[in-house]
Amino acid sequence: MHLGLDDDELVACVACGLCLPHCPTFVITGRDTESPRGRIALMRAVQNEGAPVTDDLIRSMETCVQCRGCETACPSAVPFGHLMEGTRAALAGAGRITPRWQRLALRVLRRRRLLLAGSTLLALAIRLRLVPTRRLGLPARMPLRRPPLRTSGDDVWLFTGCVMDAWQRDVHLAVQRVLEAAGAGVEPTGGAAPCCGALHIHAGLEAETKAMARSVMDALSGDDRPILVDAAGCGASLKDYGHLLGTDEARAFSARVYDVHEWLAAHLDELKSRRPVEPLDMTVAVQDPCHLRHVQRAHQAVPAVLSPFVANVVALDDDGLCCGAGGAYSVMEAELSKAIRERKTAAVARSGATAVASANPGCSLHLAAAGLDVRHPLELVDQALSASR
Amino acid sequence: MARTLAAATRRVLGSRRRDDRAAAVPDASGADAALVADLVEAVGAERVRADAAARYLASRDASIYKEGNAGPVCYPGSTSDVVECVKVATRHGRAVSPRGAGTGLAGGAAPLGQPVVLSMTRMDRLLEIDLDNGAAWVQPGIVNLDLTRALAPHGMHYAPDPSSQAACTIGGNVANNAGGPHCLAYGVTSAHVLAVEVVMSDASVVTLGDLTAEPAGYDLRGAFVGSEGMCGIATAVAVRLTRNPPAVRTMLLSFDDVSDAAATVSAIIAAGIVPAAVEMMDQRCVAAVEDFAQAGYPKDAAAVLLVEVDGPAGGVAIAADRVAGIARRNQAVSVRTAADDDERARLWKGRKSAFGAVANVMPDYYLHDTVVPRTRLVEVLEQIYDIVDRHDLLVLNVFHAGDGNLHPILAYDSRVPGAGERVHAAGREIIEMSLDMGGALTGEHGIGVEKREYMNRMFSAVDLDQQSRLRASFDPHCRMNPGKVLPSAHSCSDIGALRASDAAGVWG
Repeated sequence: MHLGLDDDELVACVACGLCLPHCPTFVITGRDTESPRGRIALMRAVQNEGAPVTDDLIRSMETCVQCRGCETACPSAVPFGHLMEGTRAALAGAGRITPRWQRLALRVLRRRRLLLAGSTLLALAIRLRLVPTRRLGLPARMPLRRPPLRTSGDDVWLFTGCVMDAWQRDVHLAVQRVLEAAGAGVEPTGGAAPCCGALHIHAGLEAETKAMARSVMDALSGDDRPILVDAAGCGASLKDYGHLLGTDEARAFSARVYDVHEWLAAHLDELKSRRPVEPLDMTVAVQDPCHLRHVQRAHQAVPAVLSPFVANVVALDDDGLCCGAGGAYSVMEAELSKAIRERKTAAVARSGATAVASANPGCSLHLAAAGLDVRHPLELVDQALSASR
Repeated sequence: MARTLAAATRRVLGSRRRDDRAAAVPDASGADAALVADLVEAVGAERVRADAAARYLASRDASIYKEGNAGPVCYPGSTSDVVECVKVATRHGRAVSPRGAGTGLAGGAAPLGQPVVLSMTRMDRLLEIDLDNGAAWVQPGIVNLDLTRALAPHGMHYAPDPSSQAACTIGGNVANNAGGPHCLAYGVTSAHVLAVEVVMSDASVVTLGDLTAEPAGYDLRGAFVGSEGMCGIATAVAVRLTRNPPAVRTMLLSFDDVSDAAATVSAIIAAGIVPAAVEMMDQRCVAAVEDFAQAGYPKDAAAVLLVEVDGPAGGVAIAADRVAGIARRNQAVSVRTAADDDERARLWKGRKSAFGAVANVMPDYYLHDTVVPRTRLVEVLEQIYDIVDRHDLLVLNVFHAGDGNLHPILAYDSRVPGAGERVHAAGREIIEMSLDMGGALTGEHGIGVEKREYMNRMFSAVDLDQQSRLRASFDPHCRMNPGKVLPSAHSCSDIGALRASDAAGVWG
């Protein structure tokens, strides 16, 4: 089976092994089949040596969280994310991964009304204790009502996305208040751009993702306003449209995308100059979402933005190892996902922090399900700002 | 409704979990069915893999040797698991090959003849820190750098620091008697391993060496360290702890001419200074690593030296001044001292990622690690560049200059017809030349399978026979990592030949 992988990208791994300690699944299992180096060797075996695609080989690909921690560890800059996305696209195209029920579930994400209504129903079911939230990794409580999104100006877009808007709209509103405090007029994207397609590309649904990318780009074209994203996974996905579609238009679009912390770090003086702020008296550990640290490589903006507003901001000592959330991974590979999470909760415990700041909804849900007090970094900034209002 | 929903949820989750269990049962079909069944019986299904993908990956390490042929792969969690695996393998007439992180560069972990592969990655615990004896007991699968990090709160570290230390395991370090930049001052692995618990080929468990300074009897520990898995399987290692130096200074010296850099190395040693490390990289190597490490390595320099001095603060300052003076007298273009730990870390990150960064230049590489007399470094380097030119190849030179341990990386593209042959021909010439200069075959990477053929060039038949007899006294039936190190006339590589014929059957 030809996986359709770029030959130059595929041969770029010299198998040195420096990725191994940065791969969450290798760290847990100790097995080469669950390592970046091993997965690349298997891709080569299939594409270049004609090895058959066995169930075990598919397991090796399905167990990858796609955190891309291996990429920042790789001295030869092997684009592992592209290789894995390409492999999954080939496997999904052949009907070997991503079963029909999962494709249907993913389709809901771009149907905003359906998603919002379904989420309200789910919130109700959770209140009535009809859903085993812990086992499913769902939040113990979800909002029954969502305050409406509102536009306050046209300086920047705030990308609101799918699940996050349905489940964590409070975060968007807090982010918007912080942006406004920094002097920016904000327009939330809302229904105009319902979903970035990150989960779809992870599941190998390449054609669907491309269609979604084009529709997001159409909705946000017509001006060159910065597009700010408060979910690391969505930000990484939007920034990759240039590569995904390979057009100048897509590359220009991706260049407009910023993680919201990245943008705020460059506007920190405006934010701090508005009024004197008393930092929150708490110890907060910063959890770096992989798609902020390893893909966008913008994670240093989070502590930079957080530090003036929280008395004690601490870093974790685990080299940014993934928390195991991985979008739908926490549901699809629940056992491995939890084993990976245990290392993260241990790192949080070592840090002495009482709360965790996470800039990605997937990570924050996953960590909250383990009993941690998880906030979006800008929720904390908003809290500090409003306390001194 | 509540019950229906919960039941539906259970069905979804339940079916998923059954899938996981199904995946966990190793592929018990095929010729190895009985062997696999017995291994599962002995250590549990979770610790055994026999599918094509697992065996394919267990057949290779970081070298270009791709002819390995693994049998079932086991992931023992304890000494007794290892004992059980050895017993089962023996009962089925199969050998055993251990494996750490697979970062070896000579095919030492590439299994020959479909042995049972023991992947030691799950035995990765630090068992005990014994500050009174300045030692720690660790399991063999612990990663070298993880050990050093765990010792940091005690102001200690584990001194041997191979470039792959972020990934490689102590077990693999013991097997290869691994070196590393700081071994110039601190000595190689053998000087830092006090005792080893070993599962022997007859499945008995022995401890070689002890924590005292002068153990009684033969130094069997010394014989074991560096035996590349052929004398038994290490299941616990007592390592020596090294106190962190009170002061460290790391300097980056750059030169317009490689020979000036080499002359500087000799002059530093001749002046009686013993730096903690003296590393050299040539221009092509610096170019490959700098984009990744962002350490400020000068890409326009013909060669750079990374020199580290450590010890009491006063002595370090004096030594650093003397090194800088020597460098300037030898036409150094610039002398830079790392301002803080962060800058030091980035400089070392660059040096230690050199092999991995080769794909920035070419997708494949082949290297030797011969050791040459330091006094002939200039001459040797000139010859290497000459050999490489004649074979129309690229070379990146990165090496432990302080002890003359070369790593000429021959970078090539295996997709180009004939490139592999040219690389091997050039490699052979480099080895011949190094030995003619009075050098040795390997400094730290081991012989494995890659360099077996050169053993006859280095040792006489009598030497090799003695080495073979030493090995036989540990492992009379050649059941431990067979086919390695000793050239065929002196080894039991016939075991390898026994099953090499069905190599094609590994996949699928």
